[in-house]
This record gives sequence, C-alpha cells and structure tokens, in this order.
Amino acid sequence: MINWSNFISQVFNGVVLGALLALISSGLTIIYGTLGVLNLAHGAMFMLGGYAGWLAYTYTGSFIVAVIAGSLFGMLVGVVTERVVIRHFYSRPHEDQLLVTFGLGIVFVETVRFFFGSLSKTVPPPPGLVGITPLGFMFYPTYRLALLGIVAVALIALYLVLYRTRIGMIVRAGIEDSVMVDSLGIDVYKVFMLVFGIGAMAAGFAGIVNAPVVSIAPDVGEAILVQTFVVIVIGGVGSFPGAVLGGFIAGEIISITSMFNPGYSYVMLFAAMTLVLVLRPYGLLGTAGRE
Amino acid sequence: MSLLEVSGLNTYYGDSHILFDVALTVERHEVVALLGRNGAGKSTTLKSLMGVVSPRAGSIVFDGVEIAGRQSHAIAQAGMQLVHEERRIFGSLNVEENLILAGLTATNRWPLERVYAMFPRLKERRQSRGTDLSGGEQQMLAIARALVREPKILLLDEPFEGLAPIIVRDLLTTCRALAEAGQTILVVEQNISAAMTLADRVYILNNGHIVEMLTAQTVREQPQMLHRHLGV
Amino acid sequence: MFRQRPLVIEILTVIGLIAAPFVLPYLDFTPTTMSRILVWGLFGIGFDILFGFTGLLSFGQSAFYGTGGMVAAYLLTRVGFSHVLFPVIIGTIVAAIVGYLVGLIALRRTGIYFAMITVAIAEVFYFVEFNPLSDYTGGENGLPGVPTPTLPLGFTTIHFNTDWSLYTFFAFWYFVGIVIALRIVRSPVGVIFSAIRDNPLRAAAVGHNIHGYKLTAFVVAAAYAGFAGGLLGVLQGFMPPEAFTFDTSGQLVMQTAIGGAGTLFGPLLGAAVWLYLSDFFQNTLELGATWKLVLGVVFVLLVCFLRRGLIGGVKDLYELMARRGAAKVEPEEPAAVPGMAAEDEQKAARIAFAREPAPPAMPAARREDVKVSGPILQASGLTKRYDGLLANSDIHFTVNRGELRGIIGPNGAGKTTFFKMLTCEVPPTSGKIVFEGRDITGMSVTDVCQLGLTKSYQVNQLFTQLTVRQNLTIAALAERRGKFRLDMLRRLSKISGLAEQVEHTLELVDLAGHPDKSVSALPYGEKRRLEVGLALACSPSLLLLDEPLAGMSPRERIDMVKLLRSISQGRTVIIIDHDMDSLFELVQRVTVLQEGRVLVEGTPDEIKGNKAVQEAYLGGVLAA
Repeated sequence: MINWSNFISQVFNGVVLGALLALISSGLTIIYGTLGVLNLAHGAMFMLGGYAGWLAYTYTGSFIVAVIAGSLFGMLVGVVTERVVIRHFYSRPHEDQLLVTFGLGIVFVETVRFFFGSLSKTVPPPPGLVGITPLGFMFYPTYRLALLGIVAVALIALYLVLYRTRIGMIVRAGIEDSVMVDSLGIDVYKVFMLVFGIGAMAAGFAGIVNAPVVSIAPDVGEAILVQTFVVIVIGGVGSFPGAVLGGFIAGEIISITSMFNPGYSYVMLFAAMTLVLVLRPYGLLGTAGRE
Repeated sequence: MSLLEVSGLNTYYGDSHILFDVALTVERHEVVALLGRNGAGKSTTLKSLMGVVSPRAGSIVFDGVEIAGRQSHAIAQAGMQLVHEERRIFGSLNVEENLILAGLTATNRWPLERVYAMFPRLKERRQSRGTDLSGGEQQMLAIARALVREPKILLLDEPFEGLAPIIVRDLLTTCRALAEAGQTILVVEQNISAAMTLADRVYILNNGHIVEMLTAQTVREQPQMLHRHLGV
Repeated sequence: MFRQRPLVIEILTVIGLIAAPFVLPYLDFTPTTMSRILVWGLFGIGFDILFGFTGLLSFGQSAFYGTGGMVAAYLLTRVGFSHVLFPVIIGTIVAAIVGYLVGLIALRRTGIYFAMITVAIAEVFYFVEFNPLSDYTGGENGLPGVPTPTLPLGFTTIHFNTDWSLYTFFAFWYFVGIVIALRIVRSPVGVIFSAIRDNPLRAAAVGHNIHGYKLTAFVVAAAYAGFAGGLLGVLQGFMPPEAFTFDTSGQLVMQTAIGGAGTLFGPLLGAAVWLYLSDFFQNTLELGATWKLVLGVVFVLLVCFLRRGLIGGVKDLYELMARRGAAKVEPEEPAAVPGMAAEDEQKAARIAFAREPAPPAMPAARREDVKVSGPILQASGLTKRYDGLLANSDIHFTVNRGELRGIIGPNGAGKTTFFKMLTCEVPPTSGKIVFEGRDITGMSVTDVCQLGLTKSYQVNQLFTQLTVRQNLTIAALAERRGKFRLDMLRRLSKISGLAEQVEHTLELVDLAGHPDKSVSALPYGEKRRLEVGLALACSPSLLLLDEPLAGMSPRERIDMVKLLRSISQGRTVIIIDHDMDSLFELVQRVTVLQEGRVLVEGTPDEIKGNKAVQEAYLGGVLAA
C-alpha cells in the first residue's frame, strides 16, 4: 500500500522540481516564441550557470555571490551567443538552427569538461539552510524547502518583468509580431539579444540554485533539456503560462512515478507528451501557427 | 524640398517583380492618394517605403535623407509611420499598452490624453485586450498608435477596408481633421470616393507602374480619367 | 545526383572497400576501427535517407540502433541462436516495427516539434533499456558473449573471427546497404523524398500522400539503425547500453553533417574523420578528452560556413570550376524599350498579340471522360466564415466542361477564399462542391488532385533545389502511381509513360530547351511557366490558375497569355487575376465577386458594360 508520508514528500518534491522546470522552460519558450529558434544548448546553459556559481563560491565562500555569478554568466552566454552566432541563422532553415545550437551545446559541455574534468562538484547549501526541517508529519530537507521559495520568487520576478514592465511588454509584443515592433521604432535585433539573455539567465540561475540538491557535472544539462522539451510540448510552445503549467505537471509526473519505479518516470513523461500531442496538438495553453 | 521623394523604385518578392521604376513625391501637409486595382502593388509601395520589404533598386529620400533599404526601426525614428493593411494590433496587449509601446522610442510623443481626445472610443476600451476589439476599434487603435509617434508622414494602407459605412464615415472625419491640422498623409485605398474626399493629389498604379498623376481638381472635373484605369 | 551512369557508384564502392585494407593502415587505421567506421556508416545510410533526402532531422535514431542490437544480442546470447545473421535480421525487423510505431507519434508534427519528440524518444528508450528491461538487456553491463559470424558452405565453414575477416564481413554488408539505398534513392519513392524536403506543401498538392512517405523514410532509417546495431554487437563481442544514449544519436547527426548530408556516403566519411581524430588526439597528441571539444568546434564551424559538409564542399568546388568554363546564361526577358511609357508598351504589345494567329490546339488531357459535356464543377451554397468575418456567402458557381472562365472582384470580394475552397485547401463552413459528379466537399488537396482538380499558385511553389525535369517528374509520378505506392526498389525508367508525360508537359509550357537546369537558375518568367507546368503534369481535367500573371512585366504577360490560351485547349480552366485587360482577352466567361457573393456572370463584353460592376470597382466615382 502507499506510504502516505512518502507520497506527500514526493508530491512536495514534484512541486519543487516543477517550479525549477517551469523556470528553465520559460526561458526556452520565450526564446522560441520571440526568435523562432529552438535552443538545443539550453541544458548546457543550465550547466554553465551551475559551474559559474560553483567557481564564485570557491573563491568567495558566499552562496549569494554564487547565485548572482551563475545568473549573470548565464545572461552573458546568452547575449554573446545570439550576437555572434544565432543572429546569422534567422534566415536559414530550421534544421540549420537546430544543428548549430546543438553543436554549441556540445562545445559548452566539452569546454567545461576540458577545464574542470568530468567528476561532479558540490556546492553546499548556505549555512542557514542545511539539515532537515520538521513539517508536522514528515521531515523535509531544509534547502529544498528554501529552493521552492527561491524558484517561486524567480518565477514571480520573471512574471513581473514580462507583464508589468516596459521591457516585458516589448518582449510579449515581439513574441506576437516582431516585424511590427520594429516598425514602431524598436530595434528588434536588440530585443532578440535581450530575450536570449533573459532565457539563458533563467537557465543559469536554475543551474546554480539547484546545485546543492544535485551536484554539478558537465552532463547535467542533458536530462534537463529533455525534460524541458516535454514541458513546452505539453504546455504549448511560446507560452509562458504554458511553461509554468507544463513544468508543474512534468514535475509531479516525475516525482510520483519515481515512487514506484524510477525508470518509468521518463516513460510516463513521454506518454503524457504523446497524449497532449494527440488531443491538443498545440499544447494545453499554446496557440496555432507556432511551428 | 519635398518631404518624400521616390524615384526608380523596384521591389521584388523573391524574384517576382512587383514595382517597376515607381516614382512619386509628397509635399509637406499634403494628402496624396495611391490608387489602383488590387494586385497593382500599392501595398508593396508603402511597405517598401517603411522598410518592411527592401527594394532592390531605387531611391527614397525622406526629409532630405536617403532611407531606401534601411531597417524599419530606423525609418520609424526618421519620422515615418505605416498603418498596415492587416492593422497588426498586439492582441495580447491591451489598448493602452499598444499605445505606450508605440511611443517608447519616439522623440516627441503624444500624451495619452491627446490620443484619447481624438479617439474617445479607445479611452472607453483602454483596458481591453487587442483581440477583444471590433474591426473598427482595431483600425482606430492602429491609426492612433501611429500618431503617438507624431510622424512627419503617415502612410495608410487601405484604412477603410472591411469596415461598416458608418465607421468609415467616422474614420474619414478623423482623417480629414488630421489633414486639416497639417498631417502629411499618403493613403492607399480601393474605396475611391473615400480617398477622393481626403486627397489633394492622386497617383494611379497599374501592374506595378505609375501610369498617371492627377490633382483632385482634375478628378472632380473629369472623373472619366479615373474610370479609364480603375474601372473594368 | 545519382541519376546518370547507374553502376559507377556501386563499382567505386566495391573498389574502395577492397582497397581500404591496403591503404588505410598507413594512416594508422586498425581493422577494428575500419569495421567500426563501416558500422557507423551503415547506421548513417538510413539516417541520411531520413535527414539528407527527406529533410527530417531526428535526434532519436539511437533508440532503433539499440533496439535492433539488443534483440539480436539477446537472441544470440540468451536464447542460443548460433548463426549471427538470422538474429540480426530479426533485430532489424523489430527495429523497423518499433520505428513505425514511434513514427506514428513523432510525425504528427514537423520542424522543431519533431526534433523535440525525437530527443525525448532517445532518452525514453535509454531509460527503459537501462532499468525496467535490464533483465533482458543486461542493464549497465550490456549483453556479453555475442559470437562472431560463421558461414557454412557445405564442404567447409568460414569463421569470421579475425579482425580482417570481420572487416570483410562488415564491408560486404555495407556494400549491400549501399546498393539498396541507391535503389531507394533512385526510385520514385526517393524522388518524392527529395520533393518533401524541398516543398512539402506542393508535394502534397500534386497528389502525394506525404505523411505515408515520411513514415516510410522513418521506418527505413529505423531498419538501417537496427541492422547496424546488430552488427555492433558482433563487432564488439558484446552489446553495450551506450548504443541507446542520446550521445549516440548526437554523434550520428554530427558525423553526417561533417561528412555531408544527402550523399549517402557522408556518414561514412564523417565517421572516419571522427574516429581518426579521436584516435589522433588521444594517442598521438595525448590530449585525452579534448578531441570531442575540437570536433564540436569543427562541427559548429561547418554548420556556419560549409553547410553541405565535406563532400558538399568538394562538390561545390567542382561545380564552381565547371561553371567558370561554361558560357554565360542569356537573360530570358529583353529589357523594356526605353522611352516608351509603360502603359503605351502594354497597349502596343496587346495589339501585336491580337494580330497573331491562334496557336494550334494541344492534345486534350489524358483522363477518362466521366461525362462528355455539361458541368464539370458545381458549387452550391458555398459559405466561409472566419470567427465572425463572413468571407464568402452562399455562392453558387458552375463551370462547364471545356470552358475558360475568369473570376474577378475588387478587394475584399473573397476571391482568394473562394478559390481555396474550390481546391479544398480550406473546408467550407457550409455548402457543397461537386466535381465530375462526385461530392468533394471536405476532401484533402491530395485526394482532389488525384481526382483531377489542381491549381497553380500565385506565389511560385516549386521544388527549388531540383531541376525542371525533376519538378515535372514529381507531379507526373503522382498521376502515374497514385497517392502512395511503396515501389522503393523500382527504377524510375521503368515507370511506363512517365518520360513521355514529362516531355509532353515540357513542350506545353515551352521549357523543353533546357530541362536539366536547376530551378534556382531560371529567370522569373520561366519559373512561372514551370509553376503552371507542375499543375499540368498532374493531368488535371479542371485546372485552376491563381494569378498566373502576378509580378510579370508587360512582355512576360503577353507570352503567358499566349501560353495559357494554348494550354486551355481541350481542358477546363478557371483563372483568377487582377490584370483585367489580359484576362478579358483570354476567357470566354467572367464571374464577378463582391463582398463574398457572386455579383454577376457574363461574357467579358457584358461585364465591361455592366453598371453594377463599375459601381463595385469605382465606388461612387462614375462618369457623369
């Protein structure tokens, strides 16, 4: 029979994982929505954020500095990638865009492997957040609890930026009609660069804040990438609310199935994705025409 | 010096040759209409001016500066605005956000109150999302959005198409007021009578060639001149 | 590319495979490495058919590679089959079946969705193989003990148990794989693959069931992957779980891109480069794991600058040098006569045209006559509503067999929507369309084309990377073979009547002069003629022409009108265009649409004199 405290614990894990996936997937989905490019290097950017944070932590001993470093480095990678590489691919066929972002992902991963080796590195949680917190009927790792809060704050921040700031307005308009944005006097290439930077920053931030839970290694991004794809197919490509919804659904699916058999979580994710593809081809919250 | 001087304009879609050596001028404070059957290339002309489509050859001198082939945002900064035929309202943004967005990079922008004074209907609907607006309201918003930037020239691509006659009448009144206040306008229209109430001069485009230029006076006195090119 | 001199490539392959063991060891290639390259090469042949030829970029081929390999290895190690080949073939068949099932899901979408789904597939298969099925697959240890092949010959048995004899075994099967692939690529199915990569919309519109063909390509790729996976187990003596990883799929993609996609041999070359460099970096330079970084950078640079890979780069160089020697192409259209106003030129050209004698009648289209006379198309009550906008309202429209009908209307009349409903690109909200006595309402464009109704597009929808002849062949193939046929091993030349139909169409549209020129090198007027030719090659009994004169200079218009007049002999044709002067010279009857409804119908003269039509166009400004 089901061990209820185990079950609640896993549901909780699912929420934490879901929030994380929602954040990373939001980054991927706004990049696709605005630029029309699927960033196959997104998982690698998650990984890069983790490493940048770890480096900062090794030098300063401060978790907060690590988080800032990871996020900023993520943004830098995104901006430079768009400016130097992606910009020249907008008029090329989709396959070429996929190939080049895939290749960049490999280059990022191998560069990290070259400098830091393949063994995983740990980033300990900040001193105030180690250990376990009693939650009435169960005990839960303190940092994971905090992580939920941290990621939730980041998601809300992203939401506020997108829906309450001028920049966010430009991005949302750009997702809808980037040509019209250009017609209104806003340099749309600068918008693209910014969006890629924000998307990569979301991934990098997630990479470092998740480091105390799952240690960082050059290939951590691969699993994340696949999960992100499933999330945005379920939620709807190009939709921020879709990424959030899809993220929590995916997080719960992974957590709950791992209770029964860890190997099946991927199968269930894939089954969920297939179900959505058959019943609602554009995702739960997506719109048509975003192929 | 004319505000807008176009000469030798040749625009292609891929290798489909749409505009053949198009030439026209627009003086300050004038309203010029560009007429022609559909497929003639009227929309393409406006899009070439605004940089939405890059002409392959030709010169577009706007307020003394050559703008042919430049990116749209630079042309918008130079003071040109195009109200697209499809209107292209940002459906996920509300009315007010559409207007604010338009003014973000403008050197002189209309305060919202001024926009709402000219389009009271938009004030009523200021919080409505773009997708919830009717056709006439969307057209109003598209024009208002262009005006927010206080453009030196306003390009209108079939502004009256698909609208009920009563709304066309309202819009016409607004446009006439704009023209009387000195706004330079280049309007493309298939609704000839509507265009003729606004225009000081007309150019006629046929199969991508400018075939005629007439003053409004001439058209009023000899309407058969229009008939020749635009009738059946 | 593979069309001329059919056996040359096969022979060169044999020579290469035989010569390799004598040449490559000088470059420090061991026989095991060479065998490994062959396995990757075989894996890549199927992938190249899927990606290079059909244009479907899949990151999930490892799923089928591993499946085929595991099934074969399982049968050989746990079930006790002794001969290697039979289990490998079973593995291939299983991989193909799995490929079919996966394809049904993955091919529901195109472009990035397809790519994402294939990535997910790779990961799913790996995890399933690793965990739930580890009893069968050996989990992280794989399946050890895969035997080497033996070949019983009655009087003796050949054991392929040395490095070089194994190489021979793999070389043989690589050769078989290439021969089959060459047959596929040269078959009608192969041509249709290229059409799908180039312009899937048009491929469907000329009558091909593109979903079926895509699934075929997917299954072929899965089969090759499964077979190669089986051979991998034989090569290594055990079946590794790494075969299932996403990395494996990624390596395949990179190798194919490096070698050159769309060449069949690209994956082989890419694998050679990959394995050579990894060997070189690890053993000679002793730089350990850096080689993958270098390869990654090389890959990115190739995608940026040498998109068609190494083989493609060599081909480009070759073509560049060949073109230097060839004569310059004459521009097709003479420039407008200077000094004449455009309008005068149009008028003068029209007078010249009117004086020319009518061209001789062309033979009628080949299709069984359902009825000899009477209406060929009847639309009744045709209405289309888009979210509150009524584009077409209750249209009744009939065209008789053999008629040449024009449709005109001012902007907003709903002509485009109406046309799209006739060709079944868009389903009507209500109403019915009957074609040759058959209700076609709601059918697909592909089916309707097969029935004999097709159109040419306002904006050219050609297969731009192919030649004129290949373009027409694609359309003619649909007419000859129906919407789906799995004749992958049949030669194109064996399709009866195909060459004749293509030649006939070439003459009809006056492109017989240089049929093997690439479409991208054609001037606009010729492209437009080819556009009409594509529709004609479907042998339609009803031909719809959507603004055939769009974007043409006055001279080009005259030529096109002449062409349209000649092709309409013996066919029923409906034309939409804005150039009313040209249209009225051409058609017998005109239908005028206004605001979504039929306003009036009549002969061109009747329409010209009709007050209501004038009113519709001039909107109130009329001669006194």
